Amino acid sequence: MGREKILIGKIGERKAQGFLKLNGYKIMKANYRTFFGEIDAVAKKGDFIVFIEIKTRVSSSLGPPYISVTSQKQRHIIKNALSYLKRYGLTDSNWRVDVVSVKLSYKYEVENIELIENATEDYEGGWI
Amino acid sequence: MIAKVYSSCVIGVDACEVIAETDTSGGLPNFHIVGLPDTAVKESRDRIKSAIKNSGFSFPSQRIVVNLAPADIKKEGASFDLPIALSILSSEGVIDPSGLYDFVFSGELSLDGKLKPIKGALPIAMSLENINKKKFVLPKENAKEAAVVKDIEVYPLETLKDAVDFINKKLDIKVLALNPEQLFRKSCKYRKDFNDVKGQEHVKRGLEIAAAGGHNVLLIGPPGSGKSMLAKRLPTILSDMTLEESLETSKIHSVAGLLSPNKGLLGTRPFRSPHHTISDAALVGGGTNPSPGEISLAHNGVLFLDELPEFKRNVLEVMRQPLEEGSVTIARVSNTLTYPSKFMLVAAMNPCPCGYFTDPKRECHCTPFQIQTYLSKISGPLLDRIDIHLEVPRLKLEHLTDKRRGEPSMEIRKRVDKVRDIQKTRYKDDGIYFNAHLESKELEKYCLLDKESEDLLKLAILELGISARAYDKILKVSRTIADLDGKDIIEAHHISEAISYRSLDRNLWG
Repeated sequence: MGREKILIGKIGERKAQGFLKLNGYKIMKANYRTFFGEIDAVAKKGDFIVFIEIKTRVSSSLGPPYISVTSQKQRHIIKNALSYLKRYGLTDSNWRVDVVSVKLSYKYEVENIELIENATEDYEGGWI
Repeated sequence: MIAKVYSSCVIGVDACEVIAETDTSGGLPNFHIVGLPDTAVKESRDRIKSAIKNSGFSFPSQRIVVNLAPADIKKEGASFDLPIALSILSSEGVIDPSGLYDFVFSGELSLDGKLKPIKGALPIAMSLENINKKKFVLPKENAKEAAVVKDIEVYPLETLKDAVDFINKKLDIKVLALNPEQLFRKSCKYRKDFNDVKGQEHVKRGLEIAAAGGHNVLLIGPPGSGKSMLAKRLPTILSDMTLEESLETSKIHSVAGLLSPNKGLLGTRPFRSPHHTISDAALVGGGTNPSPGEISLAHNGVLFLDELPEFKRNVLEVMRQPLEEGSVTIARVSNTLTYPSKFMLVAAMNPCPCGYFTDPKRECHCTPFQIQTYLSKISGPLLDRIDIHLEVPRLKLEHLTDKRRGEPSMEIRKRVDKVRDIQKTRYKDDGIYFNAHLESKELEKYCLLDKESEDLLKLAILELGISARAYDKILKVSRTIADLDGKDIIEAHHISEAISYRSLDRNLWG
């Protein structure tokens, strides 16, 4: 991955975390690493443990940022989430996956930021 | 939390209880339906989700499992939308569960939360007494058809929101009370009448005999001679349906979704005329989960097969057994169902491929071979079950321009009713209803001939080459003719009239 892309990702994550706090999310873990990969943020909102995927893009020539959270990626996030829940003994609690989609300008300023709650809800058949 | 809502599932023309159980628990938000749902039931997930959201409730973001018990019966159709939605709302605590258990719910949901009509409301309503429930909540379009059942309370609803408010006692819904007798009498009117038909007096007479004795009829004539017109008017001279008969037939129509919302009950005998491209499954019923076919939809009425030789041969053959037994049993891997099918068969055909063989004015250009092939499309066993063959000639000009109207159906029906009463008393110990159902043993007992008629019959057999099969038919038909005449003993002119209704046996052509 190019250095610039990592930078864009980092900026996006920072902006998104601020945005989530404003929206009443209590962030418990950022960049949590598991065997399967990384969760961008684990937060608590109300009764729910929320696993957050943050997606940042500069150019919208390929569509808005959230479009790249494909079903394959979603499955990945869920695997990570389950691994987290298992580790802390939280498998019976309510949990969900949210996506924060951050659109930056070419000067890396926030143009648009969107929150999609319960982003993995509609999936036919089982997830895992 | 667990919630239970009662519903019902239609199997054939009966219904059995289904319980929609919902469990919501922690975990990734998900929504599953188990309990052998078919595709329409599985798709209800999306309808229910939208309907709940658009009715002003929130859809729980939890792990939801809905079970449709008993799990071994295949659940079909969209009528489980309402019970599933209510059980989800009940598990969320939106609905007071104590108010739920007295009711049985059925209804399809649209995305905006409105209720849509379902198939089979009548059989469900009739099965309520088996499961000790009295209150039935359903879409208002189906309310009338369910309300004809005695001793149940029917609550017609329009939206999911109304349903929730109704159970929480925030909304008062009136029980739809109907007098089935009254509703039934009101719909007992035919729009057609026999006096619309000009001329063709002997065909009318033949149809009257058929109606009186329950005989199946074959009409043979050139195109445009009025075969279809006559056949369509046959139900108007059959004796009036009784309420029980109407319920039986309405039930089948309800399962097929053919009952109109403002009618509720069929008051007139059904007349079904499927096109000759019909498949065997569509005629007798079929499908993976067998649905009723045309012969069951014509139960207690008339099945009219126009252009009989054009029907596929296997389609006509599958009809043989139901014609004898008055019911059809359809066996599939998933289910074996029996639908009633007591109907009168009326078939129409041309005498030859071009249609003008018996026409005195137009010349027929078919070869004898062509005619032979055309006629042989109808198998002997099927012809066996048709007692009366009527030739319908082209209408003469003087009949066509005649201003006088024929005899109205009412008058003919009075005579038919009388003969049906005679048969009822005569056969009360034999378990049959009509002369058409007489077996050879009973023929000897009931079809007594005088000397003259016996001689005539012998002569006919010798001279006309009538087969043994046709002999029985002639006896049965002459029995009906004698009944119409009010005679106990069959006389010579009864026999000769009956012989005239066997034109296919007399080898007039081919």
